[in-house]
Amino acid sequence: MGDYREDESASESELEDEEVRLDEPSKRSIYNKDGLLEKREDISWPDNVEWIHKLTVDVNKEEKVDVNDDLARELVFYTQGLEGTRKAFEKLQKLGLPFLRPSDYYAEMVKTDTHMEKVKSRLLVEKKNIEEAEERRKAREAKKISKEVQAQKTKERSKQKKEEIESVKKWRKQRQKSGFAGGENGEDISLPFEDGKGFERTQKGRRNVAPGDRSGGMGRQGGGKGGKGMDKKRNSRDHRDTKFGFGGRKGMKKQNTADATNEFKGFNKGDFSGSKKRKR
Amino acid sequence: MAKKRKQSEPKSSDPSAKEEELIAPTRPERTLSGYKHKIKVADHPQEEEKQNDSPFFRNKEKILVTCSRRINFRYRHLMLNVVSVLPHCKKDNKVESKESKGATLNELVELRNCSSCLFFECRKQKDLYLWMAKCPNGPSVKFLVNAVHTMEELKLTGNHLKGSRPILTFSSNFDENPHWKLLKEIIVQIFGIPKDHRKAKPYHDHVFVFSIVDDHIWFRNYQISVPHNETDKVDRGGLEKMTLVEVGPRFCLNPIKIFGGSFGGPTLYENPLYISPNQIRALEKKKKAGKYAKKVKAKKRRRMHEETNQLEPDEFADIWKD
Repeated sequence: MGDYREDESASESELEDEEVRLDEPSKRSIYNKDGLLEKREDISWPDNVEWIHKLTVDVNKEEKVDVNDDLARELVFYTQGLEGTRKAFEKLQKLGLPFLRPSDYYAEMVKTDTHMEKVKSRLLVEKKNIEEAEERRKAREAKKISKEVQAQKTKERSKQKKEEIESVKKWRKQRQKSGFAGGENGEDISLPFEDGKGFERTQKGRRNVAPGDRSGGMGRQGGGKGGKGMDKKRNSRDHRDTKFGFGGRKGMKKQNTADATNEFKGFNKGDFSGSKKRKR
Repeated sequence: MAKKRKQSEPKSSDPSAKEEELIAPTRPERTLSGYKHKIKVADHPQEEEKQNDSPFFRNKEKILVTCSRRINFRYRHLMLNVVSVLPHCKKDNKVESKESKGATLNELVELRNCSSCLFFECRKQKDLYLWMAKCPNGPSVKFLVNAVHTMEELKLTGNHLKGSRPILTFSSNFDENPHWKLLKEIIVQIFGIPKDHRKAKPYHDHVFVFSIVDDHIWFRNYQISVPHNETDKVDRGGLEKMTLVEVGPRFCLNPIKIFGGSFGGPTLYENPLYISPNQIRALEKKKKAGKYAKKVKAKKRRRMHEETNQLEPDEFADIWKD
């Protein structure tokens, strides 16, 4: 690569050199037209030489090209080559000679296989570079957009939620208006999400339950149902479980609650034992 | 072979016989049997000469390719590239670039049995001159070579058979002036590979482009890639699908002088627009050297100017001074 770049710069400087030249042709220069033509006659092949010996094609060139515009210049050369080859191939085709290389004709090439391998690898590297650059560019753009996209999504979601609630409210109103509302007992079906509480759990049946107890006294109910005909021991176990809790976090249970402090139920019972302790 | 041929001739009808004269070596009667693939054009040079109406012509061009001593690697590679695309050339040792090189080169060419010569002359390790000469009795041309790219460059991705004959394309402005005409003739003879040359391969898979732009001859070498299944016919629409891939080398020739003899003789043409690269460099150096002198001059002029038109004393200069 390094070499190649160097080459390029070298050739460019050469091109620059080219620009500096005489503005007007010097008049003293020799131009012996007759001599030139005579010499040409001398060396040229006989006129009736068949084309196949020469293989020359003249291609018309229409417009002037700017020499310093590399692309335009190369394009002109390329088109000249292409047109010339087309003409020549037509002629060759007419002659009927084999002129195209069959696919199974292997012979030495001007560039070696190792060199062509290099050329190929360079092409591949170039292609890879282009692809990588493209990917990087895409990622950069996607990053820019992604924030906007996220904001839009959340907005959309909240909007949808609102709409749904709205539609349900509307439906209810309509229902009320149409007189169907409430059914027989004149009550609404209170939907939990209406007052904004969301789906909270009801406190029903959790009266004697410690705040941290996740069995929530349900353990007792379930157990009671199933163990009606069961032994007493089991019953009392259940009871105690619900009273003192079983499993769950301990921290909340060991704190006093408002209910516990206001209840004097268990105070009178073990009077003596307590005083006993105090006496000691 | 020739006898056999005579026997078969009366059988064929008149138009085919005519065709035969035009296209000597193919022999259309035999193509149907699939025999034609085995015939190589190179195998029947003698037959061809009998068939031709014209007096026998055979291109026996041989080219001596050599270079001067102390040539740059870049230019040496260019020379080697040229050698690799011209199978009818002989490469020789480097030649000392002296005043008398013309005589030695002529001798060398004669010694090697060549009819023309390409001499790459490198001066100062940076300027390349190319001599194209027809030996032994001229003419010869001296070019300055610019914008050299060798085949080794990796951006030139094409490849073609070594020694296949190129198609030579010329831009139409080669026919405008006598000196371009002469140059075209010389180029055709040197860069055209002789038909049926020993080392030449029978197929055409590359094309040389010679184009005159800006009074320089630009050279390009392209590989031809065209879809085909048979050797003598392009697929239908194949000519439209044809593409070229550049093989290299690239260079640009600026003709300096055309001489009547080989490596010498009367000057027939001189490029009126030519400046030698030495002069160009000298000019540039001078430009750079002039920078300091110009500065000094400008300073001096300024001082002179200030002295001649002095400022008048300002009457309001000390109005706020109290």
